[in-house]
Amino acid sequence: MIDMDIKSLRRKVENINNLPTIPSTLKRISKIIEDPTISLKEIGKFISNDPALTTKILKMVNSAFYGFPGRISSASHATVLLGSNVIRGLLVGVSVFELMQNAMLGLWEHSLGCAITSRLMAKRKGLKDYDDVYAAGLLHDIGKIILILEFPKEYKEAMNEAKLKNVTIAEIEGDHFVADHADIGSWLAEKWLFPRNLIEVIRYHHKPHLSKSAPIETAIVHLADILLRANGMGFAGDPFVPALNPAAFEVLKLSETDLREILEEMEDSLEVTEELSL
Amino acid sequence: MPKVPVDKLEPGMNLARPVTKGNIVLLSKDTKLTETLIKKIQDMEINGVYIDGPSHQDIPKDEALAQLDRRFKNVEDRPYMNMLKKLVKEHIEGLYD
Repeated sequence: MIDMDIKSLRRKVENINNLPTIPSTLKRISKIIEDPTISLKEIGKFISNDPALTTKILKMVNSAFYGFPGRISSASHATVLLGSNVIRGLLVGVSVFELMQNAMLGLWEHSLGCAITSRLMAKRKGLKDYDDVYAAGLLHDIGKIILILEFPKEYKEAMNEAKLKNVTIAEIEGDHFVADHADIGSWLAEKWLFPRNLIEVIRYHHKPHLSKSAPIETAIVHLADILLRANGMGFAGDPFVPALNPAAFEVLKLSETDLREILEEMEDSLEVTEELSL
Repeated sequence: MPKVPVDKLEPGMNLARPVTKGNIVLLSKDTKLTETLIKKIQDMEINGVYIDGPSHQDIPKDEALAQLDRRFKNVEDRPYMNMLKKLVKEHIEGLYD
């Protein structure tokens, strides 16, 4: 157990920029996303000025799965099409996960697969904000990254313990770090002024029945997370499938046929994740 | 039966499954692809089609199913998890056809 109360931990997480291991891109990005007065045009310009970032964002939105296959040629176009909330989510996603491949191999695949699957399900359920649900799927495990960055040694120990004890990492994070990755991710999402629904999905993706403002979106990401793990795609800290929350599953009213089709579509998403490997 | 991305299709390949849009069959199973058909497929908003031939899986089927059992071993008695496991199992088996 780390020697820290929950308030100090929260302060530490909110000051993530002071960590030496935080990549400079993320530091610059967090300045952009913490500024509520920034315009879409300025966000577009910021991305355009960084060729690596531009490539990653364009690769993502132009992939066949995103729905604009090959049609978006500039960062400013992508920004206008997707809107501020989604583009901020994608920015955090591509910059944060970049440094993850060493610490947790497979978390990028898990997160991207979850984003794509969540978007598919949101469309299937007729939600209008399916791009927001994509961003939520992409960032749902961001708390794990923060935990690994802050406590690399302790998090590896927790991962080993989860495997030995046959439990998921989420079930034992609280014993090691006072809070779990869902809490920690939601603190950061709040600090970054992400929309209410995105914060709720991150906070409640393991307890979807508690979500008040975004119950459907949270249930979707909850189920997508489980389907990815069930299908053995990517890695999220432990080798086990978490149990489905029955109430959240029932909210989605998905038939066995729906689920079969979603599994098929996920298979395509795996090809896309290979293309988008950072 | 591999799923081939639309930009990797070549004339002479055979469709192992129909290409559909909603309930409408655009190209039937066993259609032999030509340059023109490939262009048409590339204009549809799909990212791949099923082609006749062996598919490439990273691990043998038995191992894939054993891993599935291990992933589910803690939650099999929880609501809906048996159904979910059954569907994923069928899905994985389908990848090896």
